[in-house]
Amino acid sequence: MHRFLRHFFFPHPSNNHRAKALHPDTLLVYILLLALFNFGFRYLHHQYPSILGYATDIRLSELLNLTNKKRAALGLSELRLNEKLSLAASKKAQDMFSHNYWSHTSPEGKTPWGFVTSSGYHYTIAGENLAKNFSDSSGVVEAWMTSQTHKDNIIKPGYRDIGFAIVNGILNGEETTLVVQMFGASDKEEVIAQKPVPLFSGVSTEALGDQIPLISLGVPSQEVSKNFITSLTSVIQKPIINIPTMTRDIVFIFLGLLIGILIIDGFIVSKRKIIRVAGHNLAHIMFFFALSIALMLVKRGVLL
Amino acid sequence: MKKRMVSYINFTALTIILSSTVFLFFLVRDNKSMQILIGVLLSVLYATWGIIHHAMAGDLHPKVVVEYLLVGAIAVTLIVTVVWM
Repeated sequence: MHRFLRHFFFPHPSNNHRAKALHPDTLLVYILLLALFNFGFRYLHHQYPSILGYATDIRLSELLNLTNKKRAALGLSELRLNEKLSLAASKKAQDMFSHNYWSHTSPEGKTPWGFVTSSGYHYTIAGENLAKNFSDSSGVVEAWMTSQTHKDNIIKPGYRDIGFAIVNGILNGEETTLVVQMFGASDKEEVIAQKPVPLFSGVSTEALGDQIPLISLGVPSQEVSKNFITSLTSVIQKPIINIPTMTRDIVFIFLGLLIGILIIDGFIVSKRKIIRVAGHNLAHIMFFFALSIALMLVKRGVLL
Repeated sequence: MKKRMVSYINFTALTIILSSTVFLFFLVRDNKSMQILIGVLLSVLYATWGIIHHAMAGDLHPKVVVEYLLVGAIAVTLIVTVVWM
């Protein structure tokens, strides 16, 4: 064991004065293992989504409360949850999954305002915020608040009503949790939802732990199932293993180990003044360090 | 002395390459495809830098070229892994 560790981690005559962990054949093994890890994770997620999946807990009630808290902090009036705007948000989400797009305007040119008016809301002003793949409600609202255009919608004094749809489905071949937030003000008295209202028939939120009663507005349920839509008022998923956390842990541990081995290897070779044919350890360390920073910037949640 | 100077210049160039690609990576943080593209660019630039650096130092060997290419490939694999998680 001692010999193996020395051979693998430290420069020694047995490994031609270069830690075996840094030999080209070992580097190739890392690439193959990482590729295997990628495909393995995808396969296992597909087969056993309850074990290996994306932890998500986004609820309409929380989004509404958090949005209104942000407004209240600025002395603005609370927005009322509006059935028609929630229907518009649901239609928009469904359209995005059906036509596989991530945009405010559909490939056929449908605008958010079309969904608002077709849902029966007569707006004087209206707005839309979109988010996908966030893991919790506060993450969504905080991200919107750090983006000026989204923040402008949240804190616009002219809005009176708000509607939401939170939907899980497949977008561009990727499992996606969409959040659609619609704002509006109307010159007519609008229907105010007393509770968060799921707007498609046949979609139960009970399995997801949401006790809100279902109200059907007559949209055929097959449209829902066809597009893998699982919920409209909340998306709650608690897999045993959360893919983003697990992936990041493995990647950063691997990078940390590589940087550590490079530092030890470089230090010993420099101290013993060994001349060898190999890449520059300092350059590799700088490269992996830069890569670590870049990877820290990757986030799953995206706004539009 | 001249060799040390060349090394300083090379490492300054590497620092500029790495910091600017990380900055580019930050700029496209909402676009996964662009992040992967910039990750590939980062790796290609790094491998090119390594080859030029060792050629200038006079110790370029096929084994060294393979090492830089593999290090670049590891970076691309890691970026794809994290970006598409």
